[in-house]
Amino acid sequence: MNKRIEFDAIVVGAGLAGSAAALVMAREGLNVALVERGRKPGGKNYFGGGIYTHAIAEVLPDFMERKPKFERPVTEAGFWFLAEDGLTKMVTQGGKLNAEPADAYTALRADFDLWWAEQAQAAGALLIPKTTVVDFIRAAGGAVVGVVTDRPEGEIYAPVVIISEGVNNLLTQKLGLIDHDLEPAHQALAFKQVISLNPKEINARFGLPDANQGVAVSVLGDVSLGLPGMGFVYTNKKTISVGLGVMLDTLAEYQLRPYEILQRYLEHPAIAPLVAGGQLLEYGGHLIPEGGWHDMPQLYTDGAMVTGDAASMVNALHWEGTNMAIISGKLAAETALEAHQQGNFSARTLAGYEARLKEGFILKDMKQYRRFSRFLETHPEFMGTYPAFLNDALGNFFSAYGKPKRQLFTEIYQSLTGRRSLLGAAGDMLSMGRAVLGW
Amino acid sequence: MTTRRFWVFIEQVAGNVHPVSWELLGVARDLASQVAAAAAEKGDEVVVEAVLLGDKVEAIAQEAIGYGADRVYLLDDPVVAYYRNCPYYKGIAAVAEKYEPEVFLIGATILGRDLAGAVATALHTGLTADCTGLEMDEVRGVKHKLLLATRPAFGGNIMATIVCRKHTPQMSSVRPRVFPMPEYDSEAEGEIVHEPLGVTEEGALACILEFIHHKEESVDIEYADIIVAGGRGLETPDNFQLIQQLADVLGGVVGASRPCIDAGWISSAQQVGQSGKTVRPKLYIAAGISGALQHKVGMQNSDFIIAINSDPQAPIFEVADVGIVGDLFQVIPAMIAQIEAYKQEATT
Amino acid sequence: MFHALVAIKQVPDTTNIRIDPETGNLVREGVPAIMNPYDAHALAEAVKWKRKLGGKVTVVSMGPPSFTTTIREAIELGADRGILLSDRKFAGADTLATSYVLAAAIEVLHKEEPISLLFFGKQAIDGDTAQVGPGVAVRLDLPIFTYTTKIREIDLENGFVTVERHTEHWVEVVESPLPAMLTCEKEIAEIPYAPLPNLIRSLRYEPEIWTMSEGPLEFDKQQVGVLGSPTIVFKMDTPPLPEPGEKFNAREVGVEKAVKLALDKAAAAGVLQAVLGGAQ
Repeated sequence: MNKRIEFDAIVVGAGLAGSAAALVMAREGLNVALVERGRKPGGKNYFGGGIYTHAIAEVLPDFMERKPKFERPVTEAGFWFLAEDGLTKMVTQGGKLNAEPADAYTALRADFDLWWAEQAQAAGALLIPKTTVVDFIRAAGGAVVGVVTDRPEGEIYAPVVIISEGVNNLLTQKLGLIDHDLEPAHQALAFKQVISLNPKEINARFGLPDANQGVAVSVLGDVSLGLPGMGFVYTNKKTISVGLGVMLDTLAEYQLRPYEILQRYLEHPAIAPLVAGGQLLEYGGHLIPEGGWHDMPQLYTDGAMVTGDAASMVNALHWEGTNMAIISGKLAAETALEAHQQGNFSARTLAGYEARLKEGFILKDMKQYRRFSRFLETHPEFMGTYPAFLNDALGNFFSAYGKPKRQLFTEIYQSLTGRRSLLGAAGDMLSMGRAVLGW
Repeated sequence: MTTRRFWVFIEQVAGNVHPVSWELLGVARDLASQVAAAAAEKGDEVVVEAVLLGDKVEAIAQEAIGYGADRVYLLDDPVVAYYRNCPYYKGIAAVAEKYEPEVFLIGATILGRDLAGAVATALHTGLTADCTGLEMDEVRGVKHKLLLATRPAFGGNIMATIVCRKHTPQMSSVRPRVFPMPEYDSEAEGEIVHEPLGVTEEGALACILEFIHHKEESVDIEYADIIVAGGRGLETPDNFQLIQQLADVLGGVVGASRPCIDAGWISSAQQVGQSGKTVRPKLYIAAGISGALQHKVGMQNSDFIIAINSDPQAPIFEVADVGIVGDLFQVIPAMIAQIEAYKQEATT
Repeated sequence: MFHALVAIKQVPDTTNIRIDPETGNLVREGVPAIMNPYDAHALAEAVKWKRKLGGKVTVVSMGPPSFTTTIREAIELGADRGILLSDRKFAGADTLATSYVLAAAIEVLHKEEPISLLFFGKQAIDGDTAQVGPGVAVRLDLPIFTYTTKIREIDLENGFVTVERHTEHWVEVVESPLPAMLTCEKEIAEIPYAPLPNLIRSLRYEPEIWTMSEGPLEFDKQQVGVLGSPTIVFKMDTPPLPEPGEKFNAREVGVEKAVKLALDKAAAAGVLQAVLGGAQ
């Protein structure tokens, strides 16, 4: 009989959180198994398209020397507001965005996650691909002491397990750390197309001087038929990532097919010219846990911790999830290292993970933005009415109709009040403020 | 004067000759004629010759002459009553070493593919598999014409032409039905030359214990006159019934494209294409087949092709003589009804 | 002792090959490399017999250094040892030169530990030639059974194997002395989901790499790669497209009309004569 397979730590899932955790532990000399269900890390992962470097630098200060698989630095960022037939842009460029390395880079997960996992492997972690963790091995007292995979003779033992399984958090549920499936109202389905174009053509269409500059924008308004949702456009080296996220319950309620919404979005007169003539390389979708604070599971138990998407660490407004994933992986790893030093893997020791999160920005942000997803649920105006108004208003403002300006402003004012009562609009602004600033 | 020999292997199993052998005699004759002028100038002789192995198969040798062989080397021996790799390749390699053919063609059947690689290695020469085109032509730096063997590569996406510059024989295996059947001439004259096999039963290495005949009568699509083929557009394996119905009305057989075989919808014996069978029926109906090159190379020699596909841009239309853009689930029943109506008219 | 030798090849997954619509060229970028499926099934069968009889499975492959991933995959599937024959001078080999390199290496391995049975896939899906197996068998003077679908019995004591091979006409049941070579159909064995210990071993396994000069044998440079290949690719082209025929759109003219128009064309070409008799 084979002797049992033992490691110092197991990480479930070689995504951004998992590989970060594996890297940090392996670097300190732990024997780490990084178990990934896909053939390669990143193969099944999806996101819009931006990676924040501050999180990477916290894990790997010399990351730029390791040839990270980025696409383009984000040198222009902001919001686009789509009306049915128009577009208003609120973007910023230059200044802080010209820093080197940039604050954010566009990326494709199939490439980036592979590179990220390679850093963990280089530090000594053993990446075990094509293997799905299906359960835990529990000690007599219930503590997690390993995992069970779907392979024959598939048990792996370790005193600590870091769960970085992603949004479909079956294992987190299996441990009883969260007692419910995420509600459809708390999940967005994000879907996108990656469209291949000549780099020169991309530069021309987005007004970029060269391939070392890039655009990342959130698109609001006539994106998702006026329903709660947000679009995005990211420029990569030779491709453009265009897509949008819509709340899952909305899709169900209106019986919408993701592909149709995306198709309509891509045919929008402001979006179509950006992708015209390109070749569709990929089409895919992924769930995003947007329940935020309300859906966060208990983050640790005896012998196990939960990180990243599995713990609903996503900031829906700022499209942040990747940096939270990386940081949470790092903090879980540091906690695991501490537990190894103490030789104690109980919940009491692993509580240090939550304490570390509280010190950092993640739990603060999660709390501050706790109302945001609810806010979008109850205020669909932000998706439809206001962007349409903005386009009308600016359109009027910058047109010479030969009308007295006073009449023009009255028309602008009426174009808003025709859509939403003034009081309603004021209330919306207040709610938005509360949602974003956590009042 | 030298003799330039174009050889064809005659494949027989239990006295039945695989028709590809006759097709290859036709091609060999054609290739021989392409060097005839140059040979005549030098006073050389060009001949088409066949190699036949078996036990008491002289009648087949005579038949080979009728299909165009000037001479048949006959290795008649009980050891080769049934095909076995070792005695076959050793026997053939010995006669080839003796007569030094310039070109040697073998049918790319299961037996032929088993044999060809062994013979080529024993003769230390080049072999091009599954050729779809053969010609004799000039190649820079070589004084006489070489065999230019064309075969699909990369799943049929590209045609590669292969030559064997310095080694003889220049060998090719050729799929059945790639080339037409030559006329049979019962008056044709030729010579039958007996050669020893040179391998004893002990040297045959393997012993056939038993033949188990296939339970199901397998569908012979290679030589069918009418084929109705289904593809991924059928959506489910059950829908092959519809294809079968149309085939029945036409008196044809059912074929399929690779995705259906990969999905396990239908037997691989019915696969048409580069990794399946090459066919050249009188009528080929492709229903719900997009027409990947790998499929097209297997059926484009059909006399008449009808393509049915809901996508007007489907590449299958590029090789079709006539196309119907529409839903096959509507088109095929309508076609069955129409053919039955025509049949009614014909009988009344 | 049972010692199985399995020859494997890494191939592009041809089901994934695309053609660039503009240039007409093959898009190889991003096409995943896989173990040739027939080889994988052959390996699975070899491993199955190793479990039954004890012993050892050695895999051998010829190709560039990137083929080590496929060797590791073989270890995952249960092979004990993997050797990659890799040298720039091997590049450009046709089937004759490939069979020389493989046969030379197998001969050395046979001297180290006598081989009972050699397993090849029936053909590689990127070349479809089915020539290398028979070539190696001839060079090693081994009996060969192509298109093998089943091994009935391996009798190491008396030194014979009984296999079934599928031909167009029947299934042949053949008995052969050992050592012998089989080239295998997919039916020979299902590819199992590898046990975790095998997978972990494969991840840490370093395949042996034998080159022209490094390794236990010296290859004859006249017989490898381009030098050892009698055939060369003379030219490559995309097949010319014939003039497409007429198309009838069922949505525009109606299904019945479209069908009738198409069948009338077929009838006019004379291809329906056999179906409809003389009258049309």
